[in-house]
Amino acid sequence: MVSGIFHTSYESDMALRRTPAQKIRLALFILFILVFPFFASRYTLTLANQVAIATIGAIGLNILTGYTGQISLGQGGFMAVGAYTAGLVTVRLGLPWWLSIIIASLVTAAVGALFGIPSLRLKGLYLAIATLAAQEIILWVVTHWKALTGGVEALVVPDPMLFGIRINSDFNFYWLAWGLVGITALMTVNLFRTHYGRAFIAIRDQDIAAEVMGINLFRYKLLAFALSSFFVGLSGALIAHYRSIVTWERFTIDVSVLYLAMIIIGGLGSVSGSLFGATFMTLLPAVLNNLGRSLRGVFPQITSIMPFIQQATFGLVIILFLILEPEGIKKLWEDIKDYFRLWPFSY
Amino acid sequence: MRSKWSLVVALVVLAAVLLSACGGGGGGEANTDIKVGAIFDLTGPTSDVGTPYSEGVRGYVDWLNANGGIDGRKIDLVWADYAYKVDQAEQLYSQFVNEGVVAFQGWGTGDTEALRSKIAADKIPFMSASYSANLLDIQKAPYNFLIGVTYSDQAIIAIQWAIQDWKAAGNEGMPKVALIHHDSPFGESPVADAQAFAQSQGVDFMHIAMPKGATDYVAELAQIQKFGANYVIIHTVSSPAAVLVKDAKNQGLMDKIKFINMNWCADEGFINLAGDAAEGVYGTLPFTPPSDPVPGHEAPAQWLKEHGSSLDDKGLHYVQGWWTMAVMTEGIRRVVEEGKPVTGENIKAALETIKDFDTGGVTAPITFTPESHRGSTALRIYMVKDGKWTRVTDYISAP
Repeated sequence: MVSGIFHTSYESDMALRRTPAQKIRLALFILFILVFPFFASRYTLTLANQVAIATIGAIGLNILTGYTGQISLGQGGFMAVGAYTAGLVTVRLGLPWWLSIIIASLVTAAVGALFGIPSLRLKGLYLAIATLAAQEIILWVVTHWKALTGGVEALVVPDPMLFGIRINSDFNFYWLAWGLVGITALMTVNLFRTHYGRAFIAIRDQDIAAEVMGINLFRYKLLAFALSSFFVGLSGALIAHYRSIVTWERFTIDVSVLYLAMIIIGGLGSVSGSLFGATFMTLLPAVLNNLGRSLRGVFPQITSIMPFIQQATFGLVIILFLILEPEGIKKLWEDIKDYFRLWPFSY
Repeated sequence: MRSKWSLVVALVVLAAVLLSACGGGGGGEANTDIKVGAIFDLTGPTSDVGTPYSEGVRGYVDWLNANGGIDGRKIDLVWADYAYKVDQAEQLYSQFVNEGVVAFQGWGTGDTEALRSKIAADKIPFMSASYSANLLDIQKAPYNFLIGVTYSDQAIIAIQWAIQDWKAAGNEGMPKVALIHHDSPFGESPVADAQAFAQSQGVDFMHIAMPKGATDYVAELAQIQKFGANYVIIHTVSSPAAVLVKDAKNQGLMDKIKFINMNWCADEGFINLAGDAAEGVYGTLPFTPPSDPVPGHEAPAQWLKEHGSSLDDKGLHYVQGWWTMAVMTEGIRRVVEEGKPVTGENIKAALETIKDFDTGGVTAPITFTPESHRGSTALRIYMVKDGKWTRVTDYISAP
């Protein structure tokens, strides 16, 4: 019978996985990820890959917004930087795809840091507008700098090959994408056990107090922008190589809002929250679509309004979620764990 | 209490995810139905024209199946709304391919571009309502087929006609032509080709993008006036085009300038929105509108009448969807008649044998070859007269 988790040594308190149950769950999750593709259809693999890419992007945004408290509406723009850099470096310079992904992440980190400069003076809604400007400026440059990006025309990226195997088939790409999710998650979780991560959290909780304690706000805010953009650029680069085609229409303001919704619904300031949010926001439209399609067979007379019902349900589910569990799916998950752990005396 | 609620929500989500997983795997096997996938914009930014187009595609399939299908085999149209979102388009595409579709009907420029590498890898013939000339590159887009006249060809035909019209009116020299377009890949698509053609003809040419979200186009009209354009080609969707011609009418430009709408703003929606200002506006229409009856309108009109609607209500885009699906079906029919297995590769090969396919006068005859998937290059010029698109010329071909 347990009434909570209590640590008796510093070592166990600071460990990444602190209880046997956590270790077992992680092992089960990894086992599931490893076994899943062998039983999955191509459609579910596509969904899984979209979830993986979204998860990396959401973790990136969460570093900035969830952990450091700097709201960003520039997500779509930064993803565009990653995708276009990866595509252009591969097409124009003929570099291998894996190198292009690394370069794209680094370039996006630099661009992110550049657009992070206003964050020193701006907070909250004002920063949101400044990053919205980043979104618009980046897309404007992408669509109008024809000599570099090809303007509004789609950029066709050659298929990524490794030892003669095409990496961007749904099955092969799964391993790359989820492998990178693992690396991203591990790096992020560990980041917040270092003094950099603690500085980010201190800035989020009270920036003036953080500065008084000797945290260089300018340096750490820019660092947060750069680190966040690094992962966002990574997810953009993955999109470029997964789809073999880069079009600007994929990186509009909708994308920025969608990713904010992901981390808010999943849980701010949490890696697992990013995974939950990305999964939820990617699968929900697919779930609704399939429900809609099967209901079409049952009620043929409402076929024409079904898409509207789907859209309304999408909004409704999100609103209900936020009302019932404002701290996100992560909190929900913790409540479920507590319920079982403390059963039957859940006071 | 709180955790109980949480548990209920969690179970509902879990159930929904499981349901969807089952739904995905539930595709029937070993029946003789031919599966064709389709994505439509029914709730997104282009749903005003996407809805009648989708009804046209679906209407044709229902009509075909009610009339015996292809050699007794029915077409099973697997469709969903994607709200003009590229990610959704990709999800639905791979879902439908997974369910065994052999051909695909897309919609906009965004999804058509995003999917063109995938459809080539999967060998799925693809048609959509995007007539961007980029899709004609047979190396880069080997499985894309275009039914309508490309935006580039439409603009070139408009310039050609403008020169003729200018000379017929007894004017000296060459007219000045402006192209005002939507600020998007869709809008930019014809600019370079139109400019090159205008230059080759010695026509003074300018192009200008319509700013997104603008509520009036007075500034753009001022620029066009300063340039001294005699003809203005409008390449956008109906509502901004209507705003533009209304502004032009208010400024008294309708007598000095002739406006030529390209296909996505030359429809009934434009006339409804622009009202009086639409009178005298020209249009390049690759699909014959219901206001100009041709034999190709009879089947859809009859079908709609039997189902409590009318072709006049549904309009031009219904006809467009209907005949786009009809041409795709012709490819499938040829595969079935030859007794070959119905696969994407065979449908592509069959489509490439289509020569001078008659759409009952709805489009110029459609021809595909292994070298070119440019279905037709000719269209008629129409003009709005008494609130209806009225035929002005016979078919004009792009060079």
